[in-house]
Amino acid sequence: MILLLLTGLTLLTLSGRGFGALDSARAMVGSVLAPVGDAARWVFSPITDAWDSAFARDDLRSENDSLREENDRLRGELTQAVVATNQLQELLKLVGIPFVGDTPVVHTQVVAGTFGNFGDTIELDKGSDSGIEIGMPVITGEGLIGRIRLVGEHRSTVELLSGGRFKVGFVVIGASAIGVAEGTGDPSRLRGSNIDIAQEVTEGQIVVTAGLRGSPFPPNIPIGTIASVRPDESARQTTVEIEMFSSTRDLSYADVVLWKSVD
Amino acid sequence: MSSTTLRYLLLIATAMVFQRFLFDQFRVAGVVADACLVLAVAAGMVAGSRRGAIVGFGAGLAYDLLVTTPFGLGALSYLVAGAAAGAVGHLVVHSARSLTILVGFSASFIGLLFFVIVGTIFGATDLVSAHLLVVLLVVPVTTSLLALPARRAVKWAESPAGSMNPAIHL
Repeated sequence: MILLLLTGLTLLTLSGRGFGALDSARAMVGSVLAPVGDAARWVFSPITDAWDSAFARDDLRSENDSLREENDRLRGELTQAVVATNQLQELLKLVGIPFVGDTPVVHTQVVAGTFGNFGDTIELDKGSDSGIEIGMPVITGEGLIGRIRLVGEHRSTVELLSGGRFKVGFVVIGASAIGVAEGTGDPSRLRGSNIDIAQEVTEGQIVVTAGLRGSPFPPNIPIGTIASVRPDESARQTTVEIEMFSSTRDLSYADVVLWKSVD
Repeated sequence: MSSTTLRYLLLIATAMVFQRFLFDQFRVAGVVADACLVLAVAAGMVAGSRRGAIVGFGAGLAYDLLVTTPFGLGALSYLVAGAAAGAVGHLVVHSARSLTILVGFSASFIGLLFFVIVGTIFGATDLVSAHLLVVLLVVPVTTSLLALPARRAVKWAESPAGSMNPAIHL
């Protein structure tokens, strides 16, 4: 039993140090089981639909209500959104660096959500055969949602930004303030920290990836807008709450940006 | 490799298939039953804490291959759960179904708690959240219920010829 404990601890340590063979083993098992998973989802879909309606009836009802409200609100905000998008593009041009739209992306479909009870991941229907590699950013039409964690030949697993497993450096457009954003478990909110208190940031400002040298993300991928600002005089830094452009809940499609970090 | 080991490997592979393709489809309050944990706990109940620990380690390794939490965390945690099931089960004199359920609940709760604590120590800080309380309640309940039929499969793996014993009192 002591030998097993030591083996477990060794595996944990190797995993913590990013031992590639372990991730390869996971990706291989994922690829092997994927076709059967697709078949199982197809077979069980009538049952799982019934299951969801039985156990998530209240959730579905409240979700339906909130979607109706959101639909009404979105109709009214459609024009504003177009204006905001144009403003974002213009602001990014002012910064003087190319938008991520210039980088090729792979369009994928989300085929599964998180496995098990821990972790915040989704599975995509494309893998290394489409040029996807570990660490590549994953976006929707609205903004950053995560990064590639595991890659099989025809499947890849995305670690969602909202889960809090990794951090991303950001720039506040119009304020030139930089900081670090990380997930809080909420599918649409992030916490931003390490912003110099001398830099003035306000609610509503747009936050994009900083893409500093060595960053795993390219610059200027939209992340969200600042929802609240909390200056901390003692720490000489400001903490902000960021409302993500793209919620990580109920995703159907995602794009993988074929971008590799330059160390 | 002994026939018992082969049968346990078959059970672990079956647990993986059940987890990935059946249990993950059905969520209660956002939580899924854990087939590998069920196997670990059932092995501890039937064959004692030592066998429970070994089977738990193997089942946990299989679980580690399916998820993105730190590799080895499942192996260590299910080892503890299997050993705990054997140790707690050893203390229970009567084999009443309610007591069996209680043993399953306790062992899986201990295993999950170990998973979260060790995972957090090893840097998986996102394991502690409001969702954790629901996981710590729902998973032990489902594990304790599913361990009842799983014990039958473990008894098959433990039997000398691998034959099913039709008279098993749950």
